[in-house]
Amino acid sequence: MKSRILLAMPLLFVALGLSACKKGAEVVKPVEAFGTYDSEPDWNDSTKLVNLGYQEAQGKRIFYLYCVWCHADATPAGPSNRGNLTPVPPLLNDGEKLNGESDEFMQNIITLGGSALGKSAMMPPYGKTLSAGEIQAVIAFTRAIAQPPYQRPGRPGSQYTAK
Amino acid sequence: MPSEDMGKLTYRMRLAFAVATVICLLVLAISPVKDFRAEWKKYKRSFVRYAQGRPDTKKLLADYSPNIDQVWIPGMNVVDRCTTCHQGMTQPSLADASVPQPFRAHPPIPHNVREWGCTICHRGQGPATEIAEAHETTLAWEQPILPAHFLQASCGSCHHADLNETPQLTRGRELLSRLNCQACHKLNDVERPMLGPELSSVGYKVSREWIYKWLKEPRTVLDKDGNVTVNGYENGDESRMPKFRLKDEEIVALTAFLSAQNAQPIESYKINPAVVAAWNKKPDLLPQGELRFRQMMCTTCHPLAVTRAGETKLIGGNIGPELTKVGSKVNEAWLVSWLRNPQGYLAQNNMPRYGWTDEDLYKVSQYVMNQLTDSDLLTTVPKLEAATGDEIKNGKRLFLEKGCASCHSIAGVTPQKDFGPDLTALGSKNASELEFGKAKITHNLLSYIQAKLQDPVSVNPASRMPQYTWNPADLDAVTTALLSQTGPKPTSALQHLTVPKVAASYRAVGDFAEVYERYKCYACHRFNGYGGTLAPDLSYEGSRAQKKWITEFLRNPQTIRPTLILRMPQFNMTDKEVNIVAEYLALAVQKPDVNPQSVDARQFTPALVSMGKQLYEVKYQCQSCHTIGGTGGYVGPNLNNAGNWLTPAWTEAWLRNPQALQPDTIEPRRNLTEDEIRALTAYLMTLKAAIKPQSSTSAANASLAGQGAGR
Ligand code: HEC
Repeated sequence: MKSRILLAMPLLFVALGLSACKKGAEVVKPVEAFGTYDSEPDWNDSTKLVNLGYQEAQGKRIFYLYCVWCHADATPAGPSNRGNLTPVPPLLNDGEKLNGESDEFMQNIITLGGSALGKSAMMPPYGKTLSAGEIQAVIAFTRAIAQPPYQRPGRPGSQYTAK
Repeated sequence: MPSEDMGKLTYRMRLAFAVATVICLLVLAISPVKDFRAEWKKYKRSFVRYAQGRPDTKKLLADYSPNIDQVWIPGMNVVDRCTTCHQGMTQPSLADASVPQPFRAHPPIPHNVREWGCTICHRGQGPATEIAEAHETTLAWEQPILPAHFLQASCGSCHHADLNETPQLTRGRELLSRLNCQACHKLNDVERPMLGPELSSVGYKVSREWIYKWLKEPRTVLDKDGNVTVNGYENGDESRMPKFRLKDEEIVALTAFLSAQNAQPIESYKINPAVVAAWNKKPDLLPQGELRFRQMMCTTCHPLAVTRAGETKLIGGNIGPELTKVGSKVNEAWLVSWLRNPQGYLAQNNMPRYGWTDEDLYKVSQYVMNQLTDSDLLTTVPKLEAATGDEIKNGKRLFLEKGCASCHSIAGVTPQKDFGPDLTALGSKNASELEFGKAKITHNLLSYIQAKLQDPVSVNPASRMPQYTWNPADLDAVTTALLSQTGPKPTSALQHLTVPKVAASYRAVGDFAEVYERYKCYACHRFNGYGGTLAPDLSYEGSRAQKKWITEFLRNPQTIRPTLILRMPQFNMTDKEVNIVAEYLALAVQKPDVNPQSVDARQFTPALVSMGKQLYEVKYQCQSCHTIGGTGGYVGPNLNNAGNWLTPAWTEAWLRNPQALQPDTIEPRRNLTEDEIRALTAYLMTLKAAIKPQSSTSAANASLAGQGAGR
């Protein structure tokens, strides 16, 4: 009798060990992202959706509060103020125009306004209204929606692949 | 037992022991092998390799240890080992999206990861060291990671006050309040529930047939593509009345009960027959009525479908009910009585009591009853005979059973308390505490909430919860707000972190209080944080506007923001009322440090004025947002009449720091010198041209969200 128990012990161990390896029952499916705060339809092709990360989504919020009036063709109020301005401000997704500008330039013109950089005073300064982080967020949003898409300059070609 | 047999047995025993020992050793070996092959160690090793392939290797590996990393914050129940694999979490150089996960840096947020850990916001199992256990629902752990799309729920579990950074949460809370979820459920942080109208006298207002139609399709109709339409027109907002799953005989019984509700007869009013007779001879009664309806700016609060250039869309605010087909809904006698005194029918409601002449009342009511109609509205309603006593009794029972009484009060009907379950801790429920019924959905809280909201009976066939129609964004917003209801915090350290909501209140005093109540100023305007947000905040109106301007504006409201179509209604205030309001606004609601008398416009010299003009037009180019004399932008208010409108003291203070006067204004704060401020003010004070009302077509082109432009 005793020998049977002794024999069973190691088997029990094995069984326990195996069961501990078992993974959780179900895998959670990712939820589909809708056209909300953390995504933005491609301005040039509304069937495409650009998903936004945390910073870009904060940028979107700030853009639609402060910048949309002059830097987009459609505003929450309907018509855009763009046409009232000379020079006509670029659409903020205009990659042809803005992809070439460095983050520093963008940060400067938004913080100090156009006149401080020898551009039009119609671009107001936001340095005393928005925090540096908020301005970085708007820039991140600009980069995310840029058409043609924005490529970070001098990004080191990554040889590493995950897993 | 013979000795040779014993020997045999011993041999077999030995063999058995040998085998068992080998198995035992193998089993013991599993542990170190498993340990070496542990998932987290793989990530540890591959992070080293990744860091070595980058120029900033040394910095990246400065804190590296081959062991498990954890953030341990005892009082807050935080034991988060996430940083074991997410090793670049606090490395700014790893912020770029090209950095492979799990090594990417955390985006900069107001909280420091080292002080807060991860699971307080992201949920999941902090102490776990395997991917599945940390992120997913497992047998032993039922709170999986919250998908990033719903992460604002976690902000809301401590921040009971609304945050700018969490629009999805704020929208969700707003919907919980708008849709009056609190009538049946207990919820935290949800403000100002909006009740459905009291129905004690509804029998005087609408016909039994109309009630039938309404219960069958409460305003919201879904077309074949699933788009929400209101009475046939598109509307972005949810209808406040949900659809109940009612059988035809139940609807018949409910209509019988409701159409018998005649608690308080309407105050009947007879419009002067001479006025009626005079108008009946004129063929242009209806266009005149429509014009008056527009002038009174009913659409500032009520949406209305209009057709322009073949396109029909809803215009107008969403404070009051949609009016497109109201003429086919209400009785004329009720309408006249309602327009004269809305509080006579419903004690609690936000409709202002306009001042009416008989002529206006007749024109407008005729327009509503004859133009805002739909002859097909009730064609699908079956013939309903006079209600029988049994039907009425049945209807009353259903009214209580279905939960109608939770939103609509009726004299003599006591609603059941706690009709729906308490939801204040829904967000921390485990999947095992939820009923999934036969629904083929993932068994976790998030899927449960979304399934329940979209189709309550899918998870529980006996559910009494009515059917709502959500657009995807609103569904996610409400889900976020519900997930944020995580109940009381388990430790005192966590309780200290909560940011409470400050309840705003405002009490108008004296004669003003009466006028304020009569015209429901608070439905659109805000005083000291209390009231609507549709129209300008009036907390400091006495510092901002000149008293004479206020008086004239109240007599004949004109828009200062040309893109707006939601404007101040023409209330037809009496001179006495106008004086009471102007007096009160000018003197009682000032910003303490902006005394309207402190700057005298008479001191401004012509030289100063021309310097201001120069600054306005050339140096600062204010015309990019403001209009003067027909040119300029319309992001900010039109300044044509600034000299009559604004006080010089306010103008100076505003130019110095707009956000100090109105924290949410989008006017950028600039670096103006005191001389520049004075000069700009001097220039603005010379602008004294009356603003012409905008032509109605261009006003209608601007969508209803226009008020955003001014803020
Ligand atoms: C009143 C209208 C107005 C508003 C509001 C406004 N901008 Fe501008 N912006 C302009 C104009 C005009 C220019 C063009 C200046 C020039 O080219 O001389 C401009 C230029 C820019 C540029 C530089 C583009 C280039 O060609 O290099 C950036 C970047 C920019 N704006 C960002 C913003 C952001 C971000 C906001 C919101 C915080 C904002 N703007 C708000 C009017 C505006």
